Amino acid sequence: MAVEEAVQHAGEAVEHAAPAIHVALAPEQIAALWGFPITNTLLTSWVVMLLLAVLTFYVRRNLSMIPGKFQTFIELLFGYVHDFIETTLENAVWARRMFPLLLTLFLFIATANLIEFTPGIGSILVHYGGETVPLLRSMNTDLNVTLALTVIAVLAIEIAGIVALGFWRYAGKFFNFSSPLNFVVGIIEFISELSRFVSFSFRLFGNIFAGEVLIAVVAFFVPYFLPVPLMAFELFVGVVQGAVFALLTLFFVKMAIMEPHGSH
Amino acid sequence: MDGLISAFGIDWRLLVIQGVNFAALLAGLTYFLYTPVMKLIDERRERVAEGVRSAAEADRKLADAKTTGEGIVGTAAREAEVLVATARSRADEKGNEILKAAEVRAAGVLAEAAVNAEEAKRKALAESSKEIARTAVLAAEKILREKSA
Repeated sequence: MAVEEAVQHAGEAVEHAAPAIHVALAPEQIAALWGFPITNTLLTSWVVMLLLAVLTFYVRRNLSMIPGKFQTFIELLFGYVHDFIETTLENAVWARRMFPLLLTLFLFIATANLIEFTPGIGSILVHYGGETVPLLRSMNTDLNVTLALTVIAVLAIEIAGIVALGFWRYAGKFFNFSSPLNFVVGIIEFISELSRFVSFSFRLFGNIFAGEVLIAVVAFFVPYFLPVPLMAFELFVGVVQGAVFALLTLFFVKMAIMEPHGSH
Repeated sequence: MDGLISAFGIDWRLLVIQGVNFAALLAGLTYFLYTPVMKLIDERRERVAEGVRSAAEADRKLADAKTTGEGIVGTAAREAEVLVATARSRADEKGNEILKAAEVRAAGVLAEAAVNAEEAKRKALAESSKEIARTAVLAAEKILREKSA
């Protein structure tokens, strides 16, 4: 396929042009456990989970009816997210159901992107399988991570649609035999539904990966000063990407649980 | 497609691990963080609503009490007026009675005095006529004595 060759050539071209800049699309394996590969992005995702666990522990320990400053912030965030979901879905029950998934998607992705420039990530090297590879690597620069999140998000969307409308009525949104036009529209909808696997995963992966590559290139040619504002911008992009991922999931859930057209 | 998958390092085992990872995170955060925090927010919201409700209730009660109090004061004022009026009229009645009794008694006293005076006059008259008679007798005796002497 042309795309594959282009991708491979692109990788080679970068490596040939500037050997000092190491760009790898795939995550590097750093260990193996019971036949399962442990990659540096997987290790980073565990670090992110640990950070969120610490946050949970801290919030839980100080939880009280009269909130402190940090608790107020957490409550404001949760309350805002919950109210936003409820406004969008126009349904309190569905808002309560989707709230944990959407907030976790945001917190997981945003936290991972916020720590991407922490010293140590990408700079601590380990030897594994005869290669020298970084121990930690920004989580969302691995398509495995973003694809896994995408599969979960898309499954949640489809399951929400089936639970809200029932299997046959939900399937009827895509396989509609009432008229040729509706049939074609349904098929197009089905394809756009499938295309979410690609759009969700590659949007997040592409944004964060491109940011990393950009910082690497800039750091190589104009070190010390120019990377700083770019890093700040990439952190902003990282949080925005977390929000975008959760928001798109929310909007697609809204579309999935809505009554099919022409049913009223 | 295989080239694309290997270029990005896609591995189904990694996908599974990441999926399980995320599911664990979702379950953990839901149980330990979202549920308690949302419960707390709901509880506080309920408490605030309760506070607002009871404040409205207190206001209503206060207004009620004010109305009742004003009513009581009004009734009391009216009753007091009636009482004063009654007392005044009764006092007037009593005064009249006393006056009348006094008049009657005064009239009684006057009549008695008149009777007494009449009696005294009659007595005086009777006595004076007796005196005159005695004087006349004495005078006659004197004259007789002179004549005899």
